[in-house]
Amino acid sequence: MGESAMTMGARPGALTEQSPYGIESKKLAIWLFIIADAATFGAILFAYGYLRVANPDWTRPFEFWPTIATGIAMTVALLTSSLTMVGAVRSAQAGRKSASVGWLGVTVALGLVFVLLLLLEWSAMIGAGWRLSKNPLGGSVLFGATFFGITGLHLLHVICGVVAIAVIAMGFNRDRLDAGHVETTGLYWHFVNLVQMFVFPLVYLMNVR
Amino acid sequence: MAEVRQSAGMKPYVVVWIGLILIVAIEVLLTYQHLPAGRLLASLLVLAFLGAGLGVMYFMHLRYERASLFWSLIPYLIFALVMMDHVWPDALRLMHQRLGAGGP
Repeated sequence: MGESAMTMGARPGALTEQSPYGIESKKLAIWLFIIADAATFGAILFAYGYLRVANPDWTRPFEFWPTIATGIAMTVALLTSSLTMVGAVRSAQAGRKSASVGWLGVTVALGLVFVLLLLLEWSAMIGAGWRLSKNPLGGSVLFGATFFGITGLHLLHVICGVVAIAVIAMGFNRDRLDAGHVETTGLYWHFVNLVQMFVFPLVYLMNVR
Repeated sequence: MAEVRQSAGMKPYVVVWIGLILIVAIEVLLTYQHLPAGRLLASLLVLAFLGAGLGVMYFMHLRYERASLFWSLIPYLIFALVMMDHVWPDALRLMHQRLGAGGP
């Protein structure tokens, strides 16, 4: 990276140092956030595993249709959105603004598909009597607490990601933001999608009836 | 390095995407093979970490960054996750513990 890029936005004469990792500060910052958030999800999944092992009357209520099928669709939607996000970042880095904004739009749409499917699933489970502290099948009430807690935390991350991508897309389209902003948003989005690679098998597949 | 990545097109990323979809498919197939719970869990975790590794290295481009970034980030996370494994002895203890109906 050229020195002019490193000093962009700094006041004249400001001291600058080359990043020890050869990347922009915002990119390093998002990586540090991702590692911290990964530890957070790790902790909540470990807590789920602890409660599951410690409760022999754990309920396993999920049928293939509709729950597992919906989970597969949600996972595929997020993984595909990671691919479209890669397209957006590469287009942005190549200076193809309209293509990048288009890919970002598709990424947002796939993220919204995930949100919609999860909310529909929640609605069905709540309609069947599941709550944070209620198990209609008579087993441990912790199933509801862990299921809604883990999927809820992930849903919150996905919603924040969708909003962030939309804001970045608008800013990039108006030349207020650069390809680096698209890339850092992409890093966050990929992380959120990779969390689903753990949530789906541990929370859905391990609770198949 | 960035020029090499640009010239490779989207093909490597499509290949990784196909790999991730296959991992999900294998996970679902394994789930319906009626494996013992411990073996199923271990298999799913291995596949999940494999998928996450592919995503981190290729989609998140960590493979193309400086090695110092990788070594500054990933070992800490692995250490933190390994430390969390200290909960299992207590979970297993509770699994075998039964309180009487009268209770203390």
